Amino acid sequence: MFKTILHLAYKNAFLRRSRAILLIVMIGVSMAIMITLEGLYDGMTVHMIEKTKRSDSGDISLFAKKYRIEGDIRFHINDADKKVSKLKNLTGVKEALWRIESSGLVQTARKSRPAKLIGIDLQAEEQFGKFSDFLQEGSLDFGKNGIFIGNELAKKLGVHLHSKLIFSMQDSKHQLQSVAFRIKAIIHTTNVSLDPQGLYIAREKLNQLLSLEKNSATQIALMSKHTDDAGLQKRIQQEFPNLNVQSFTELYPQLKETEQIFKKFNQISFFIVMSVIFVGILGVMYVSILDRVREFGILLSIGYSYRYIRLQVLFEAVVLGLLGYILGALLGWAFLEYLKNYGLDFRLFSDGLSMFGLDSTLYATIKTAYFSSTFIAIIVASMLSVILPLRKIKILKPIEVIRSIG
Amino acid sequence: MIELKSVDKYFYKSQEREVHALRDINLTIQEGEFSVITGPSGCGKTTLLNTIGVLDTIDNGEIYLQNREIANLSSKEKTEIRLKEIGFVFQAYNLIPVLNVEENIGFIMRLQGYSQDTIKARVREIASLLQIEKQLGALPNFLSGGQQQRVAVARAVASKPKIILADEPTANLDSKNSTALMEMMHELNKKEGITILFSSHDDYVIKNARRTILLNDGEIIES
Repeated sequence: MFKTILHLAYKNAFLRRSRAILLIVMIGVSMAIMITLEGLYDGMTVHMIEKTKRSDSGDISLFAKKYRIEGDIRFHINDADKKVSKLKNLTGVKEALWRIESSGLVQTARKSRPAKLIGIDLQAEEQFGKFSDFLQEGSLDFGKNGIFIGNELAKKLGVHLHSKLIFSMQDSKHQLQSVAFRIKAIIHTTNVSLDPQGLYIAREKLNQLLSLEKNSATQIALMSKHTDDAGLQKRIQQEFPNLNVQSFTELYPQLKETEQIFKKFNQISFFIVMSVIFVGILGVMYVSILDRVREFGILLSIGYSYRYIRLQVLFEAVVLGLLGYILGALLGWAFLEYLKNYGLDFRLFSDGLSMFGLDSTLYATIKTAYFSSTFIAIIVASMLSVILPLRKIKILKPIEVIRSIG
Repeated sequence: MIELKSVDKYFYKSQEREVHALRDINLTIQEGEFSVITGPSGCGKTTLLNTIGVLDTIDNGEIYLQNREIANLSSKEKTEIRLKEIGFVFQAYNLIPVLNVEENIGFIMRLQGYSQDTIKARVREIASLLQIEKQLGALPNFLSGGQQQRVAVARAVASKPKIILADEPTANLDSKNSTALMEMMHELNKKEGITILFSSHDDYVIKNARRTILLNDGEIIES
């Protein structure tokens, strides 16, 4: 019985071949576009978040209490290297490092700007967030008086590689310190809080300039093994009760919001595309069913029940929807795979994009959820699309069809 | 086997153009009968056939099929009866256009849940009897009127229903095909013991039937 219904459904689904193919292509192309948009939106947020984590906060950051409020280096973490070692031994921690940071004023012969000087260890940064990825120009070697500068800050100051600049700050003893540096590298992290005001030197040197102990830090950052490890923050806080332990979302709430906005965009485009697909299948099924009222009347008159017709029409819609899904999944996967590897070049809009912390090349991500959610949505849309046309058949009396045929 | 008691059927009931299509029909059809309902056009032949086949409803009376009252069943039960007890041969053939001849003939058997092998064997047997075995792979649209009518008969008899209702089966056939069809129906009636009830005003069909039921203006004049 089931086989017979399937057989009829399959034959009828392709009775009007060009109509069926057009519907399949429409579903496939719409779905591929939607999946690509989803992947791009997600890719944008994932890259934005990932780069911010790698260049600054990690998944969790630790600060001396009051440091985040006062911003004064008097509130620093002592013996940072020991604390980092301890953190690295905690379950769930993948990588950890410490940094020292001081606010001050950067000057050139013509311009000056408020900036922050960050003391880093290149080897630790490389392990933590592959710092070399952020190198835009120059080489990652501080040398004697070398300094790295955020690309946006370099632009604002009008400086280039090998340009000289002076950084002035207050040390821990409230003495003014001014040091001259030569730019060795231009850094582009896409982190909106670093690129326009970040300067990097070796962390031992900065501690020395700030008259602090060798292992003093203003921030300890760590990467967790599993994202969304809510328990990890709690455990670290218990381990270091005198420090302020903050998650990425607490440190960068605006990025979380951006992620939410993109999710909303995704949901909206998902809804629009699914509505289009739904209307497409509905239209085709409606016409197809109305075209075959005579056939359904004949079937009913020889003992084929309405239940079987419902199942048959449902199969027809699902077969078309599924074929459209397969085409859409293949196209979408191909687009995403390309965009994941080669990206979408938006160099023309690089300034605008960098304002939002985005690279000029946008990369996509691929998630199984794109395919599973569209699969469910297309099956549901296919099933819903036959409800209305089936109502026509439900009220159909076979005798009326037989009479009309003569 | 079939018994109609005081059956009335109206079209456009209680309207100005009301038609009393069947008037107080009392009729009994015995098992194995080969009967024809005849009468002038519009006398109610098709309507009578359709009410017996529970395709159409009645306004008064009772219809029994093997002592079971069938006129007041739900549409689901009526569909079940049409599937399992009755074979229809329509004037306009009413074959399923997307299925080939073999699939059309075996369709009702498939719905009844017969095995693939049984269906195949039965389809071959009937096709051979009706001389359409060469057309088994063809779609109905590619067949002549006579061939389509034979496929319709084959579909109706394949599942061995208790009764076959045939509405003017020779109306669209030439005399040669009409003769052939009647011979086949006789053979099926004899071989398979199927009760056959025609509606027709074809003289040849009337002459060949064992019983003639004459209708006029919705009433049985002679039975």
